[in-house]
Amino acid sequence: MCFGHILVAVDGSQACAAALGHARWLARQGDSTLTGIFVIDTGWADFIGNDWQSSSNARQGFLDHIGREQDAQAQAARGQFTAAAAGLGDARFELAVGDPVRVLLARLNDPQTDLFIFGRRTFQVSGRPSLKSAARTLARHATRPLLLLP
Amino acid sequence: MTDIDFYKRLPRVLPGLALIVLTMVVIRNWIEPWMTDAVVFGQKGWLIKVTHLNYILLGIIAGLLYRNLLFRGRIPALFEDGFKLSRLLIKTGIILLGSLYTVQAIVQLGAMAVLLIGGFVILSLVLVLWLGRVFGLERSMTAVLANALSICGVSAAVATAPAVEAKASHVAYAIATILGFGILTMFISPFIGHALGLTDLQYGAWVGTGILNSGQVLAAALAFNPQVTPGSAVSVAEIWNIMRVISIPFAVFAVTLWYWSGKTGETGERKGLGTLLVEKFPVFVIGFLVMVLLTSLGAFGDVGLKGGPAASDTIKMLRLWMTWIFGFGLVGLGAYIDFKELAQAGGAPLKVGLLVGVTKYVLALAVVLLIRDYLVAI
Repeated sequence: MCFGHILVAVDGSQACAAALGHARWLARQGDSTLTGIFVIDTGWADFIGNDWQSSSNARQGFLDHIGREQDAQAQAARGQFTAAAAGLGDARFELAVGDPVRVLLARLNDPQTDLFIFGRRTFQVSGRPSLKSAARTLARHATRPLLLLP
Repeated sequence: MTDIDFYKRLPRVLPGLALIVLTMVVIRNWIEPWMTDAVVFGQKGWLIKVTHLNYILLGIIAGLLYRNLLFRGRIPALFEDGFKLSRLLIKTGIILLGSLYTVQAIVQLGAMAVLLIGGFVILSLVLVLWLGRVFGLERSMTAVLANALSICGVSAAVATAPAVEAKASHVAYAIATILGFGILTMFISPFIGHALGLTDLQYGAWVGTGILNSGQVLAAALAFNPQVTPGSAVSVAEIWNIMRVISIPFAVFAVTLWYWSGKTGETGERKGLGTLLVEKFPVFVIGFLVMVLLTSLGAFGDVGLKGGPAASDTIKMLRLWMTWIFGFGLVGLGAYIDFKELAQAGGAPLKVGLLVGVTKYVLALAVVLLIRDYLVAI
């Protein structure tokens, strides 16, 4: 089976290694376009919204700290994808911004995406506990082909 | 990722603020009176007497329902800035709360609070550092948990994380654990307090010491007694809370020293106590202290302390405002509790959090009951 456009979520960690490897293999077999996507999570300000007493400096310092970590992860994800996609004809890395699950779901259900490959533990390295159920949410709301890998 | 400049976007706060205000107006004018008058199991007011639900807890429940049911886990952009304003509202309420105290009362209560809070902060810090080693947690995670579980929950985690290079996932699990435990204790504490026949002073001292997160300390105190008067549960609990907040920069400094002491040969940004004080000190505490000073100087008339003259009309008006402001603020705060996030918390941080949280909660109650004859009412 050939897919015109394969999308794979990458986070720079081992959690997505199997998904990335499989995506590369499928892209090579079908001469497909391969896109790796990393999402910078903008949900942190909301996540700490219950904290009413931190000073603006403390709050912003925390958000900047998380932002730096996410930038580093984005760089790691880019490097991981670039290395994995070496030798493929049509491969590109995409950096998105927003709630990771919502962004990935939108991309998964985009008619331009023929197959979305997701490692079950991808993005857990970035933090918020709800990302543990990202794979389940994607599976529940997918209207396009989705391949979940361990 | 910026979160500071929303204050400049005043018109955008109106839809969210309107929803918060409308919610509290409906709760206070219709739902709470209906619950007070409703006859259930042949008893008038059963709903209030048994559930101990008042406008404060109803407001938080409304916020929770908005986020987790109506908004399906995310506050819509239309209401977002208005809900963010809830933090400013609560800070304003706390500043106005300064009108409940004179300098003398603050010294009396504060001395007790310093002893209890100081003892519990040190005890919790030692316990978390030991448990961190037992459970094999990374040093940065132990450091975040140590301050978050010892001082005031999420605020302490937010203040500590950058100083100890904590990973996002570490902070997230610490916050989820603290919030989950805080919400549980917020709902059960009024039951326990009433069942044990605690006075406002005892209850305020207990929740001010034993509940992990500041938002839930405020809510639990107002849930026990919604009155905002000198000697009420909230007036005691918030003095305890302010002591905890003031200690944030010092605790961050201490934990940072511990963290870096075990990281030989590594370099990183280490900040001095002076810098931490500037960066982490919550400015609203200064507003609160100015309010106490003004009250002591008689700027608002008589405060209405026990045995003294009745409270002035200005003071009465300020107290009425506070009940509304806290009500609005806590509706908004409830909307920042995401069950999806809390339900996914787990692992070693949850175990350490529960062990320390339960120990602190139970021990604080035991200590307050033991020293009840030494607690001084204002």
